[in-house]
Amino acid sequence: MTDPSETTTAAIKPRVPTRFLRIPIGGRFRATLVDAESRAGPRRGKINIALWLSVGWLALVLAGAVLAPWLGFLEDPNRPLAGDPELGPSWSHWFGTDQLGRDMFARSVWGSRLSLSIAGPAVGIGVVVGGVLGVMAGYFGKWIDLVVSSVVNVALALPALVFALFIVTVLGQSYVNVTIAVTVLSIPAIARIARAQALRFAAREFVTVAKTMGARWPRILFRDVLPNVVPALASIAFLAMGIVIIAEGSLSFIGVSVGSPSITWGNILAAGRGRLEESPHIALTTGGVMFATLMALNFVGDELLRRLDVREARI
Amino acid sequence: MLRFIGTRMAQLAVVVLVVTLLFYWMLNLLPGNPCVAAFGGAATPEQIAECEQDRNLDDPVIVQWAKWGGDVLTGDFGKSYLTGRTFGEAISNALPRTLLLLAYSQALALGAAIPLGLWSGYRQDSVGDKVVSGGAFALLSSPVFVVGLVLILVFAVKLDWFDLGGYRPISEGLVAHFKVMFLPAVTLAVGLLPIYLRLLRTDVIGTLQEDFVGTARAKGLPVHRVLLTHVLRPSSFTLLTIFGIQAAQAVNGAIVVEYLFDLDGVGSLLVSWVAAREYLLVQTLVALIAAVFVTVTALVDVVYSMLDPRVRRR
Repeated sequence: MTDPSETTTAAIKPRVPTRFLRIPIGGRFRATLVDAESRAGPRRGKINIALWLSVGWLALVLAGAVLAPWLGFLEDPNRPLAGDPELGPSWSHWFGTDQLGRDMFARSVWGSRLSLSIAGPAVGIGVVVGGVLGVMAGYFGKWIDLVVSSVVNVALALPALVFALFIVTVLGQSYVNVTIAVTVLSIPAIARIARAQALRFAAREFVTVAKTMGARWPRILFRDVLPNVVPALASIAFLAMGIVIIAEGSLSFIGVSVGSPSITWGNILAAGRGRLEESPHIALTTGGVMFATLMALNFVGDELLRRLDVREARI
Repeated sequence: MLRFIGTRMAQLAVVVLVVTLLFYWMLNLLPGNPCVAAFGGAATPEQIAECEQDRNLDDPVIVQWAKWGGDVLTGDFGKSYLTGRTFGEAISNALPRTLLLLAYSQALALGAAIPLGLWSGYRQDSVGDKVVSGGAFALLSSPVFVVGLVLILVFAVKLDWFDLGGYRPISEGLVAHFKVMFLPAVTLAVGLLPIYLRLLRTDVIGTLQEDFVGTARAKGLPVHRVLLTHVLRPSSFTLLTIFGIQAAQAVNGAIVVEYLFDLDGVGSLLVSWVAAREYLLVQTLVALIAAVFVTVTALVDVVYSMLDPRVRRR
């Protein structure tokens, strides 16, 4: 980190021990002294290969998920004997076939379709609801903050999967219910980060100035605080997406996500578990795709956080 | 301090009350008779009548809920109508397995994260640090079931170093026990390690800028002494806080790991009850897990504030 722009920033800013700048609630902290205003500062203008690889991979996976029904070269994921049973990866079947001879590449792509169509809305709703709750708690403080923070702290201390199981049990295993379950899980984590961000900006000079000038709270909230919180939320959305994909994957791995004819990454892996000895490619290929996708999501999220300097970024 | 603990406990109580009441209310909205469902559709009318009376199905929802709460508080945790096993029997069989799994994995994760975190924080931006941090980042992106499958494939199927196929207690011999428990513990630890490591590394980098570190080095203390005695303690506070939260989140992993390795612990119990529609047992178990883990988090907070007096003033 011997970027010249960073040394200049450090020279202008008073040198404060980094420890005092961190809010000790837990998680991954940014220890940089660079302020949010100087987001044009470090690392800008450099082409980051890993970042663009991640973005490219995500675009590819997304395109596959969206376009799956229209991709001519893709086998029907449910057609038995698309090839001989339990073939290893080959040119005609990129990910091999399973014990019924179904094409694993097609199943993987179709699996991404369901996994992403659960994770997308879940994170979208999570960001809106969690963002609103968090910003309100951070900006207004007092009893709103007390209520939101209490709920968030307790919710974060509970094993998430247990609650997802609980919700899916009561409501039944359907697409909507699984989405509800994972959405509920993503809200508290997002709310906490939104709160920390709002808290930070509510104390800034420009908010005080706006108040002194007689601006009313909706104006301050929407014009001064929210625009500063939104970029952080956007980057958190990438990290949250990864976590929701893992949560849904875990649910379908143990067999309590969307019912069985549907294909998800989790239930492909669950099926691959039984054939690990004979045909490890079933679990390894889809596992690899999932790993790469999560890695890309985390990487993009992390990089955005670093550029925006969000200090409290753990989920 | 007492007030602090009190607030935490009150928060917990409110949450458990609200969640279970909500659960009861939702159960009430479900079509069909929960007692018919509990027997899996193969029950005599007498059995159903007994169950209905047992669960106070004739009462309003809030009364049913209050009676359930009373039963749980007086130690009557209910039983499975399908198998006839009581909650206590099932739990006493499953709990030791889960606790051992959690203990082993936390020990492995901390045992690896502390030295690695200290070292990579000390050698910030060196090649070794980049390898360690990059590895941690990759592990952070690995779902526990993918890690578990790969470990099984390599170490149990191909190399045949470890055993699959069910739990073995320590009484059957330490070797047999660890042949079964080692892979599950490593799988779970792999999820925890990067979180601990990244936290500790960041805090170590911060602590290393403090004056007392310079003083300690200037006194002529060797690097490892400075790291272990002067840097580790002030750097471990956030690790401790997160440890409480992660202890709860490790249960997520434990559910998947127990399923993956057929360990029949608390997580497997939960999943099987969910599958068998034993709603009341699920509810009781969830309430218990919630109670245990909020207590753990509160305890960690207490220990934290004892170690670091600054927190109390917040």
